[in-house]
Amino acid sequence: MSSKSLLLLENSEKRRNGSRLSPGRHRGKCAHFRLFPEFLPSRVAYSAGFAARRRLGQALRLRPRAIPGVALLLFLALFGAAQARLVETPYFAAATASGRLPAIGERVPQQPAVARSGTPGVPGGTLHMLMASPHDTRMMVVYGYARLVAYTPWLELVPDILASVDVADGRVFTLHLRKGMKWSDGHPFTAEDFRYWFKDVAQNPKLSPAGLPIELLPRGEVPRFEVLDETTVRYSWTQPNPLFLPSLAGPDPLYIYAPAHYLKQFHKKYADKTHLATLIKQYRVRNWAALHNKMDGSYRNNNPDLPSLEPWILKTPLPAPLIVFERNPYYYRIDEAGHQLPYIDRVELTLADSRIIPAKTGAGESDLQARYLNFDNYTFLKRGEERNRYHVRLWRTGPGSEWALYPNLNTEDPVWRGLMRDLRFRRALSLAVDRHEINQVIYFGLGIEGQNTLLPQSPLYRPEYRSAWAQYDLDDANRLLDLIGLKRGSGGIRQLPDGRPAEIIVEDNGETSEQSDVLELIRDSWRQLGIRLFAKPSQLTLFRHRVFSGAAVMSLDKGIENGLATAEMPPWELAPTTQQQLEWPKWGQYFETKGKAGEPPDLPSAIRLKNLYQQWLAATGHDQHIAIWREMLKIWADEVYSIGTVAGIPQPIVVSDRLRNVPEKGIYNWDPGAYFGIYKPDRFWFASPVPSAARAASAAAHR
Amino acid sequence: MGRYIVHRLLVMIPTLIAISIVVFTIINLPPGNYFTSYIAELQASGQKADLVRIHFLEQQYGFDRPLWQQYLYWVGGLLHGDMGYSFLFNEPVNQVIGDRLLLTFIVSFTTIIFTYLVAFPIGVYSATHQYSWSDHSLTLLGFLGLATPNFLLALVLLYLANVYFGISIGGLMDPHYLDQPWSWGKAASVLAHLWIPVIVIGLGGTAAMIRRLRANLLDELQKQYVVTARAKGLPPLKLLFKYPLRMALNPFISDIGSLLPQVISGAVIVSVVMSLPTTGPMLLAALRSQDMYLAGSFLMFLAFMTVVGVLLSDLALAALDPRIRLQAGRRQ
Repeated sequence: MSSKSLLLLENSEKRRNGSRLSPGRHRGKCAHFRLFPEFLPSRVAYSAGFAARRRLGQALRLRPRAIPGVALLLFLALFGAAQARLVETPYFAAATASGRLPAIGERVPQQPAVARSGTPGVPGGTLHMLMASPHDTRMMVVYGYARLVAYTPWLELVPDILASVDVADGRVFTLHLRKGMKWSDGHPFTAEDFRYWFKDVAQNPKLSPAGLPIELLPRGEVPRFEVLDETTVRYSWTQPNPLFLPSLAGPDPLYIYAPAHYLKQFHKKYADKTHLATLIKQYRVRNWAALHNKMDGSYRNNNPDLPSLEPWILKTPLPAPLIVFERNPYYYRIDEAGHQLPYIDRVELTLADSRIIPAKTGAGESDLQARYLNFDNYTFLKRGEERNRYHVRLWRTGPGSEWALYPNLNTEDPVWRGLMRDLRFRRALSLAVDRHEINQVIYFGLGIEGQNTLLPQSPLYRPEYRSAWAQYDLDDANRLLDLIGLKRGSGGIRQLPDGRPAEIIVEDNGETSEQSDVLELIRDSWRQLGIRLFAKPSQLTLFRHRVFSGAAVMSLDKGIENGLATAEMPPWELAPTTQQQLEWPKWGQYFETKGKAGEPPDLPSAIRLKNLYQQWLAATGHDQHIAIWREMLKIWADEVYSIGTVAGIPQPIVVSDRLRNVPEKGIYNWDPGAYFGIYKPDRFWFASPVPSAARAASAAAHR
Repeated sequence: MGRYIVHRLLVMIPTLIAISIVVFTIINLPPGNYFTSYIAELQASGQKADLVRIHFLEQQYGFDRPLWQQYLYWVGGLLHGDMGYSFLFNEPVNQVIGDRLLLTFIVSFTTIIFTYLVAFPIGVYSATHQYSWSDHSLTLLGFLGLATPNFLLALVLLYLANVYFGISIGGLMDPHYLDQPWSWGKAASVLAHLWIPVIVIGLGGTAAMIRRLRANLLDELQKQYVVTARAKGLPPLKLLFKYPLRMALNPFISDIGSLLPQVISGAVIVSVVMSLPTTGPMLLAALRSQDMYLAGSFLMFLAFMTVVGVLLSDLALAALDPRIRLQAGRRQ
């Protein structure tokens, strides 16, 4: 990194700290929070946000009970002033004039959230996007990113739908809703919606046979739920529950509320029996629980009648080749000028095969596209920029490594299992991967070389995590293999202890050809270790099945999901916690099923990681969380459980030239990030909105 | 003749049962079911799968029961015209297929007509002008059509059509017509998009048909009755159309048997590449995601069409060619 950008980094940190009322209270969080300026989305645009927050500093509220470190920024709305300036949305002008819809003052909450990032825009326009699957309606929930608490682009957790959150000792959470907030059908959004979910959905054995979700059960403890008043609810445990708030902010969030007024008609406890029976018949389902399940599904987002809090709500009955979303008339966010958000009136998703989406995007058929575009489409997309009036931006991606090799520590073959568990063997394999070559050959040198671990943007990052056993050193690697006692046999190929040649079959899911390219390069350098690599692309389900069952010796897949973790995010990816982890599926399964399936971990280091993870769950303070993360990262780096290659591969983002407020530089990540979500697409707006038909005509004339 | 038809119809029953067993078995051969592949897909992209809901669905659709029970459940539904439920599309299979059938018919019929219109004149011409300069060049063209991979041609044409004519890439109409009822504008948009798939799918078939027609016709042209007719002074065109061409047509009529299922399934690869809203890509998606009922029911539908198509072409042959009719009579 150049000295100039380091300077910028310092400045940005100073500025960020300056915006805090009481830096002492947030000590730690800010100090450890590092962001490279290039990832700050459009610095100019966001400086307005800084200024605003400095002003807001006076209003910043942290209850005395709130523990330091849980840095929740509490946006208090300047509601008196804002309300006076509310501007009616043109899209609803006719409806409000004729009385079909109440005026804007009635629609937004008494304390609306005031959005201050980016430039103020003009309401109107239709956003066109391309999707491949009928299930992709859920992407609108991901992009919409209306959450009880949400991440900012700086990965701080702030109240979003909630007016504020009070946290005491990391175990008592008091949620304050916005007064006067409404569902998309105009019905008030109140504590009843939380009560209904907690008492009648999550704890109903028919609707939730598995009981409460795991995020609400720290060590199996059921929370005490109280409704304090119409707009205040409290969840309390006797021990800390650090998973609670992050799970509410996920791209695929934990919904602890549900539109009670709508769903009660499908609930046996509340519904009229005969009406329910006719509904069950009409929808051809087995019982009321199936019906309730079908109708509920805020994340699935496939029921146009289901009330929602998202910026855009589904209008088309599914399935349909063209899926239309319309602005939520009761949305809770406004801008400084008093416009209700979102700026964009409609969103249209056109379904097309995922393989043709890059071509369609290049032909200018999408206003905002990143899904189904890959880095190898970049040059093609770039060529169409001028003609089709869009620009391609490159955002960083969040996985710890674009591709990582996972030695399967649970493989069935005893000889291979012994080798895979031998630390020296894993280190030797890692030393013999020429990451620089992979970066240059496949990614034009744009990636970050190193192990599969956190990215530099994470406040927990340290360079040594990434560089551990990641330098290309064949001599060292060969020495390690000699130490293990793998003798070279015919043709220079080493022999396993039982005399078989050392031939590793690396399986992958066959989704992209990039995987084969990476393996091809690794094959050449491993050949010099005397180890033969064979790539075996298969099909996703089959691939996972083979890894889980131990049939696969080694696999290639994405690196750890969250390379941007902060200390408040659970370090589950570094410990054997789920079957999804390709390096130790059986140990993960053992943890996941509480010992009902899988095998208990038997490597001391893996057991240590598992214990550390459990300590993290029980820890209260920010400092404890940091210390545990650090130790886990260190073990993870030393033990080379997965062999990383190159990370931070740019994701092409195609943005129409008319679309504003989409950051130039950003991070395209699932969690935290919700793809576009943390940049709040309700703030995106179209310069000079032209109706889509006129647009098509002018485009045709242009051609 | 009546007895023959009844006999053929009865034979169809065991054939279809056998096909249904094979189809069902093959679809269930890979490990897991739709839900496991769905979970795999979700988890691979970092999303958490709603395991409770999935377990719920598995029970509801009887995935926990033994295979033979599932088979009977499916077949029982088929007999009632209920093709089951598509998990991929969240809709009854009848509806999923129904939506796509019309456009598939349009694409396929246009393609067949295109193929006939191009292949017939060329085939006849190159047979009557064998080894001439024009025969060679037409043959070359035909082979080019046969040898070019369809999907490649599709991509090239799509790109050119977009750059030079401004036609949206993929699909059968401009995106903004998708949710609108049929209108002149929509029909025109369909026509503007239709020519690429028709040319691409048609070209491969055209070349094959030219070669076959030419070969058949050449066989006939050597025969003695042609020489006799010519010696008697019959005008060349009348001679050609009245005798050898009619003989050369038999293989095409027996082709109707395979045409029928083709019309419904569309050309899968080309449709996938061009993202056509036809049944081909749907079948592929269903097979990939192990959407059992959709894949199974659609394959059964295709099998049924094939069986019916073969019967129809046999009947048509018998009606058109007296030799076949007479021989069949003699055997009885």
